[in-house]
Amino acid sequence: MLASDSGAASELPPISRATLFASFLKMGLLGFGGVLPWARRVMVDERGWLSDRDFAELIGLCQVLPGPNVVNLSIIFGARTHGPLGAVIAITALLFMPVGLMLLIATLYASVAQDPLTRNAIAGASAAAAGLILGTALRLVLQTRPPLRGLLTGAAAFIGVGVLQWPLLWVIPVLIIVAVAAERHATPRQ
Amino acid sequence: MTGTLHVLTEIAMRFAALSLVAIGGINAILPEIHRVVVDLEGWMTSAQFADLFALANLAPGPNAMIVALVGWKVAGVTGALVATIAACGPSSVACYIAWHFADRLRQSPWRMIVQRGLAPIAIGLILASGYTVARGADRSPGAFALTLIATAMLAWTRVNPVWVLLGAGLVGLAGFA
Repeated sequence: MLASDSGAASELPPISRATLFASFLKMGLLGFGGVLPWARRVMVDERGWLSDRDFAELIGLCQVLPGPNVVNLSIIFGARTHGPLGAVIAITALLFMPVGLMLLIATLYASVAQDPLTRNAIAGASAAAAGLILGTALRLVLQTRPPLRGLLTGAAAFIGVGVLQWPLLWVIPVLIIVAVAAERHATPRQ
Repeated sequence: MTGTLHVLTEIAMRFAALSLVAIGGINAILPEIHRVVVDLEGWMTSAQFADLFALANLAPGPNAMIVALVGWKVAGVTGALVATIAACGPSSVACYIAWHFADRLRQSPWRMIVQRGLAPIAIGLILASGYTVARGADRSPGAFALTLIATAMLAWTRVNPVWVLLGAGLVGLAGFA
């Protein structure tokens, strides 16, 4: 890793408050089955605010802090663009607007939940929603091309948390220590 | 009214206490929320809780919205707002402070090292959450195929995910999932 690319991740184009609100609203309202695939799509593909690597690094920080990762993402990205107000704008668009919509759905849900056709459609969409998350992870691997040490810690996180279902509170601290130590070892001293 | 106020205070305190230990998001504290809401407080049955969970996953928005639904079930719209703010407020403030701290270290080589170390772990955790959702959703070969197709489309094409979801919903409607 070259020293010259350090800090590049921190530069953002100017983003208006309205654009910030609209973008996070889109992620929140389209985020069926999970917001993360939409967060990557909007921030990386559509707006070009972040590269896949920037996105992976940002979401890395958001995952290890307490709280939902996409909510943390809205706080950090909002704060980076417009300070505390930006954080409030982003979390409102991402979380509170969908909550209002969902309460509306909840009042209608009871009447359609038992309908077999609705259940079939939901089953199909749920299966695809799982694919959206898996596909996003795969795309991040393909785009960021982590070195072997990264592939190993990533695989350990997947197996420990996903397959073996070990408590996150134990797995994450251990993996962080291992990953940071490996990264430090691989980084040439200045 | 005092009863409602009491319940709202109870929701606020219970969820705020859980907020700061929710490493990995709301899913990490879901078993604890279930214990509090069903076993301890008796606000709803386990089946009702499962219904709310399905609804939260079905609706657009962060999965964290399960807490809003629990609050809604217990104390209406005010309950939903109180529960959401209590569950996400403390962690969001902590996140804001942590980001400020990280931003000050922008010039430090350690920040780059930590960021590069964390990124692959984050990807592994995203994979894990996709796997968990898939295990719940893929109850038939058709559903499994839909998951695989959606995975490939997201990884290798730039097709809008809305079409993937709508297409899969139609395939499900036809009875193949």
